[in-house]
Amino acid sequence: MMDHDSQLKLQAWLDGELAAQEAAQFDERLAKDPEAQALLGELKMTRAVLAGFEAGVKLPEPPEFFWSKIRREIEREPGRVAPSRRASLLAGWRRWLASAGAMAAGMAAVMLIARSERGPATETSLADSGAFTYHDFAARTTLVWLSYPADNELARNDEADTVE
Amino acid sequence: MRLKATSVCRLAWLSVALAGLASIPSPGVAAAEANLKLEALLIWGTNDTRSSDPTHKPVTPEVQKKLQELPFKWTSYFVINRKVLEVAPRGLTKVSMSDKCDIQVKKLDNSTLEVSLFGKHEHVLKRTQALPKGETLVLGGNAPNATSWFVVLKQTEAAATAEPK
Repeated sequence: MMDHDSQLKLQAWLDGELAAQEAAQFDERLAKDPEAQALLGELKMTRAVLAGFEAGVKLPEPPEFFWSKIRREIEREPGRVAPSRRASLLAGWRRWLASAGAMAAGMAAVMLIARSERGPATETSLADSGAFTYHDFAARTTLVWLSYPADNELARNDEADTVE
Repeated sequence: MRLKATSVCRLAWLSVALAGLASIPSPGVAAAEANLKLEALLIWGTNDTRSSDPTHKPVTPEVQKKLQELPFKWTSYFVINRKVLEVAPRGLTKVSMSDKCDIQVKKLDNSTLEVSLFGKHEHVLKRTQALPKGETLVLGGNAPNATSWFVVLKQTEAAATAEPK
């Protein structure tokens, strides 16, 4: 029975990721081990099937825009939380108050800001527009990127006058 | 320790008081609504340094900067059409930016709009958007030959107060 490590090694061998010496050792094992041969056949078949059905993926937006979305999501992730100590009842009560105070202060700030200047109350509708919204707070710009109509049916399609 | 706990309590009560204060409507809210004056630009984004159409003018440096702050690959932006539209309170204004592109703007309150985009006379997008002065709304999409189109919408200047009916 092949263990998990051997299975991974087999896959690495198939992908040509093993070092020459290790690959040679694995060649020997493959020649003797029918289970490894069976798994190898299965992996080869899977790879062939996947390659046959691999569809080209077309991004509905420029690659820079796509990656910026990923970067923003990564940056939005909160940092690690330090392990908490065993707290006394008083410390727990203080933490609760601090959280409540911070939350209330946040709510107050949001409400005060909302009164002076309403934030972008965004609502995108209509099916198939494929709209994606991106807000740059620093630039005070909201971008709505539409994947529909594909390839700009809003514009004329002749090269001489692409958009009119 | 006791002093710190008291401070936290004070902070909490102060915050609650602030929240209450924020919920009181300000006198400005009831002020007379004015017409909203907007500038709409239909823009073509490309990496070509010039357009084959002599009527296409490069965008202003301000708009160029605004678009370059967005994560796009295009280096040049040309104005295809520019329209200034004035929208009355709760009024509706529709303008044609090109043969295939129309936008419709409805004013919901002092700075909130309902923006509709029509492509080939088909309603493509409807969006409710707060657009106070200084904010910009950019609608965009891909165009042939790895280029792009944009509709840039922003307030231009304070418009006259609507006359009472």
